[in-house]
Amino acid sequence: MHARLIHRFLQCLFATVCLMVTLLATDLRAADDLRVMVDALGGGNFQENQKQVEALARTGDPKVVPALEALAEGDLYQRKIDGIVFIVRPAGSSFKLIDALTGEEAGEEAKAALEKIKVNNGLRRTIRAALGGLTLMSPDVAVRLQAAGTILRTPSADALEGLDAALAAETDNAVKVVLGQARAASILVSDRPADEKRAAVATVVETGGRDSLSLLSAALASADESLRPDIEAGIKKIDDQLAIWAAGQNIWYGLSLGSVLLLAAIGLAITFGVMGIINMAHGEMVMLGAYTTFVVQQVIRTSFPGLFDWSLAIALPLAFLVTGAVGLVMERAIIRFLYGRPLETLLATWGVSLILQQAVRSIFGPTNQEVGNPSWMSGAFELGGMTITWNRLWIIVFALAVFVFLLFLLKKTAMGLQMRAVTQNRRMASSMGIRTPWVDALTFALGSGIAGIAGVALSQIDNVSPNLGQGYIIDSFMVVVFGGVGNLWGTLVGAFTLGILNKFLEPYAGAVLGKILVLVLIILFIQKRPRGLFALKGRAVEA
Amino acid sequence: MITSFLAKALGRNIVIAAAILLALAALVPALNLLTAPDHALHVPTYVVSLFGKYLTYALLALALDLVWGFCGILSLGHAAFFALGGYAMGMYLMRQIGARGSYGNPLLPDFMVFLNWKELPWFWHGFDKFWFAALMAVLVPGLLAFVFGWFAFRSRVNGVYLSIITQAMTFALLLAFFRNDMGFGGNNGLTDFKDILGFNIQSNGTRSALFAASAIALALSLVITSGIVRSKYGKILIGVRDAESRTRFLGYRVEHMKLFAFVVSAMMAGVAGALYVPQVGIINPGEFEPANSIEVVIWTAVGGRGTLIGPIVGAIVVNGGKSIFTAAFPEFWLFALGGLFVLVTLFLPKGIVGTARQFVERRKEYRKAREAEAAAFAAEPQAAE
Amino acid sequence: MSTKARATGALLAAILSTTAFNGAFAADDTIKVGILHSLSGTMAISETTLKDAMLMLIEEQNKKGGLLGKKLEAVVVDPASDWPLFAEKARELISVDQVSAVFGCWTSVSRKSVLPVFEELNSILFYPVQYEGEESQRNVFYTGAAPNQQAIPAVDYLMENEGVERWVLAGTDYVYPRTTNKILEAYLKSKGVKPEDIMINYTPFGHSDWQTIVSDIKKFGSAGKKTAVVSTINGDANVPFYKELGNQGVKAEDIPVVAFSVGEEELAGLDTGPLVGHLAAWNYFESVDNPANAEFIKTWKAFTKNDKRVTNDPMEASYIGFNMWLKAVEKAGTTDTDAVLDAMIGVSVPNLSGGYSTMMPNHHITKPVLIGEIQADGQFETVWQTPGLVVGDEWSDYLPDSKDLIADWRKPLECGNFNVATGKCGGKGS
Repeated sequence: MHARLIHRFLQCLFATVCLMVTLLATDLRAADDLRVMVDALGGGNFQENQKQVEALARTGDPKVVPALEALAEGDLYQRKIDGIVFIVRPAGSSFKLIDALTGEEAGEEAKAALEKIKVNNGLRRTIRAALGGLTLMSPDVAVRLQAAGTILRTPSADALEGLDAALAAETDNAVKVVLGQARAASILVSDRPADEKRAAVATVVETGGRDSLSLLSAALASADESLRPDIEAGIKKIDDQLAIWAAGQNIWYGLSLGSVLLLAAIGLAITFGVMGIINMAHGEMVMLGAYTTFVVQQVIRTSFPGLFDWSLAIALPLAFLVTGAVGLVMERAIIRFLYGRPLETLLATWGVSLILQQAVRSIFGPTNQEVGNPSWMSGAFELGGMTITWNRLWIIVFALAVFVFLLFLLKKTAMGLQMRAVTQNRRMASSMGIRTPWVDALTFALGSGIAGIAGVALSQIDNVSPNLGQGYIIDSFMVVVFGGVGNLWGTLVGAFTLGILNKFLEPYAGAVLGKILVLVLIILFIQKRPRGLFALKGRAVEA
Repeated sequence: MITSFLAKALGRNIVIAAAILLALAALVPALNLLTAPDHALHVPTYVVSLFGKYLTYALLALALDLVWGFCGILSLGHAAFFALGGYAMGMYLMRQIGARGSYGNPLLPDFMVFLNWKELPWFWHGFDKFWFAALMAVLVPGLLAFVFGWFAFRSRVNGVYLSIITQAMTFALLLAFFRNDMGFGGNNGLTDFKDILGFNIQSNGTRSALFAASAIALALSLVITSGIVRSKYGKILIGVRDAESRTRFLGYRVEHMKLFAFVVSAMMAGVAGALYVPQVGIINPGEFEPANSIEVVIWTAVGGRGTLIGPIVGAIVVNGGKSIFTAAFPEFWLFALGGLFVLVTLFLPKGIVGTARQFVERRKEYRKAREAEAAAFAAEPQAAE
Repeated sequence: MSTKARATGALLAAILSTTAFNGAFAADDTIKVGILHSLSGTMAISETTLKDAMLMLIEEQNKKGGLLGKKLEAVVVDPASDWPLFAEKARELISVDQVSAVFGCWTSVSRKSVLPVFEELNSILFYPVQYEGEESQRNVFYTGAAPNQQAIPAVDYLMENEGVERWVLAGTDYVYPRTTNKILEAYLKSKGVKPEDIMINYTPFGHSDWQTIVSDIKKFGSAGKKTAVVSTINGDANVPFYKELGNQGVKAEDIPVVAFSVGEEELAGLDTGPLVGHLAAWNYFESVDNPANAEFIKTWKAFTKNDKRVTNDPMEASYIGFNMWLKAVEKAGTTDTDAVLDAMIGVSVPNLSGGYSTMMPNHHITKPVLIGEIQADGQFETVWQTPGLVVGDEWSDYLPDSKDLIADWRKPLECGNFNVATGKCGGKGS
């Protein structure tokens, strides 16, 4: 009995070992095959590599995922001497090698000893589809969701098998929905029977959006007669949905353009609107703010890379201080001698603007500087049928925040009270004991500082070059005048009105004609209301 | 006798300035054409066309000074009138090319041919005749100024509001002329001119003639503007500038006064543009650039707003400076130009001519006071006796 | 006060004429080369680099002993992005500074503005930027690409390798995009593309709000056919355009954008991470791997004392033009304009893309065409290259009025617009 037990145990053990050995052997052979396939990526042209990637995808082996990802990123290199393909990480002047399949480190090599495996769009597209199929069964929900999304965007009949298997195994509901949509999309492009396709059309129509529309339009061309009415009805339905969303999208674009105008103009609403200085150097203040952001990001890039997402938050107060200080110097050195001669401020500030532009050009060079988007300002999200980009959303929020801050400052603080007093009646304010020169300087510095923080925001969507300010100066004056000089609310309403008007004209008239029309409308509007939207009333106005 | 009459009607200085301009109109071409290139008094063609260009700028600045200096209308869109005049002349010069263009098309300018235009747009008709183009160079800016001013002055748009909408006007025109569909050659504008009134546009003789024409036009305009501002009407204009409401309450139709000045000024700007284009050989929408209009304001201010000689001096000084600096310090000239504007505003608020005039007047007063003092001093002992 | 006015005027005239005479009587031991690129204003952003490149080339040449035993001397002026000022400065360079040749201009309008001056004063201009063609002038050598050296190969590549069937032609509203798009439209139609599969869109200079247009492109691209954008958008407007593309998630794999005015310099102002795979067609990329280019890049970085400065296609065109001029002057043995004009045709010099460029009788040069994809590091990677060199075609074969024209500046034809149908020199004939 005891002996039998031992025997049985030994038998078992032997069997297990045998099994393990065979398994290991097949595994090794498979790994060998994979390695040959991966190595074959080196030296192939784009078409050959496309086939090679498809072949790799057909193995269904998740081990090839890192290599494919690296290939798409352009991090896959071939060692010239022996033709082995590695994933590389830059390490100083040389490359750190990583085994393409196991992910183990494999030493370092000089750049010259390696040759990059080139990718182009077609190849990248193939890789994306392959990765979608390979990562459908990943343990990570987010990866699975992404994989399903990828297949939805690049449907193919080949993916159906994998999709069915994934659907059966899927537990997460959100992923399941996307998988179902991807399956329907893939059926549409397959040669499955018509009734299966009909169901797929229904699912695709339900998914909605541009991609579905694109898919249906493509399917329409090759569909057989019985399916056509379904597809056409589907296309019409999605079209109608999109048309409604398009109107919403247009308003959004208008708001977004309006917020840019508001940001550009709000500093001017103080220096020009409140103080009456025709401040031609306003645009350059915006530019200085943008360059401050650039410098901050430059320091962060070289010294504190971890802080990059905070770069804008750090740049904001700095930009305010820098441009505020420039404004203060400008006021003390030049503008204070020109009060009561508003038209001459135009001349002097124009001169200052030329000097500032050329100074920036001399220091930073005439070319564009790179200001990066922090991660929370990159990309977009879908809201129904609308695409909303994060940077636009944050800029709208930011513009409104600046507006509220300024309003609060002017209406609720002692400093704001003094500012308003001085601008409305200088002599009276002076006799009440307000130090008017001091208030003038601070007001101008405030307006300049606000222009500077607008520059921080605008650096996210526009060129950062010495010409940056020139692009905004005319629009800014239009906004302030249209809204009514000396009225912050006017500037707010003016900016958003012009923004939305522009965006509604653009689809019909085109970008150029739209802008011309807006200008003509401003001219006509000023005839009707010679003092802008929100006119100041009273005797002080005439003076 | 005539001179004393002219001096009274126009002012002594104006007569002198106009006489100098007329003399230049005769002398410079003579020195250019009749002396050998190595002669000490020879004026090179390069200088002739350069100063010809300055004179048209001076005429533009003078036009602006009429409305800004004497009527208080700060137009930030005067370059638009200048450019329109220029385009009218440019269209004439384009039509003169005829079949000598690259494609040999007898009717259509080159830019229309390669953009596949089949026929000449209606507004290009008539520009093959010089008189028509010359008329249009004056009428189109005048008409635009009339329509624009009619609305703006009636609605009592003034001050910075007016300045900004003139800027909107020129900006809108800039965008419009940039459009290739407008039929004015888009950004490339009108170039490659061959001849004007049958004379080769590149010959020294034509250049000298254009210089002379510019000088004469400037002298004439100087006389006209001086006549206007010294007339009774001119006094009212100045009243409008200094106290618009008060002038209105006195019963004057302020908007008519302003409109007249504005239209005359726009026409003068149009003439300047028409003279400018054949001398520089190109007209493109860049002339509508709001920055250009602001520069005109700056020339006027640098020279002296509200004096008639001032804008002429300002235009020549600033542009001469630009010509010299862009070659001598190509990397730093903007500092010099910007610095000039700041310094002039701070230290010469009345501009070069205004300050000089002030200086002369002070000297005169001082001398008078000294004379009076001396007279009094001389008188005192007598009184004591 | 009018005395003062007169005094000022006289002073100015005096200064101007002294500078004029100074130039005329300058010592004759150097050969002067004019550099006519904007250093301020809107075009400074692109043109300043070319000024620096020219200064570097001249310095290098002087180290090698100059030209004809004389040192080269650069005369730099700033036409300030102001087109009439270009003409004035060109005249000044030629007649006051007496330069032997001028390297300059970027925009077509600046070139058009100076053309009559070069014709009148008989001097030589080297124009280093890609342009719309439809021109060949006796005094000008065009070392940048004509449309057939950029646009048409790019479209061919997209059709063949990416299977593109639907086209968005997006451009800034000026002559280069208009003409290029006209040529492309005719070309695409000749390849069987239907009119409804072509969308043409124009925007003003410096357009910065691209939301609507990018979403229009997405809409146009969702018709079930592979779509691509051919961008002739000008310099400054590109950064916001690409930022919007990146943010709205238009990936190169879905809708590739191929640009003709976006080079390394423009990308230096951008985070190119989201743009990987978008394309550009040029005759040179900084990433081209050959010894001549490596040397050029090294010299450039040392000259600018900036390790991050990039090189680009117009710089290469300046390099080619400058070397061609040196060779032609050596061949002619003089800097005399007519002799150099004669000597130029047929001159062949190495370009930086690893071959030779030759000056053709139409005053355009032969170049390879490279298609590159944007990489995350702001460089391009060549994904396709014409097998041989392409000859610049000044008069496009795809425009009805220019297809019969050719240019040949050799004797006896000596004509920039010879009409092969009528057998006459276009300007003089018909």
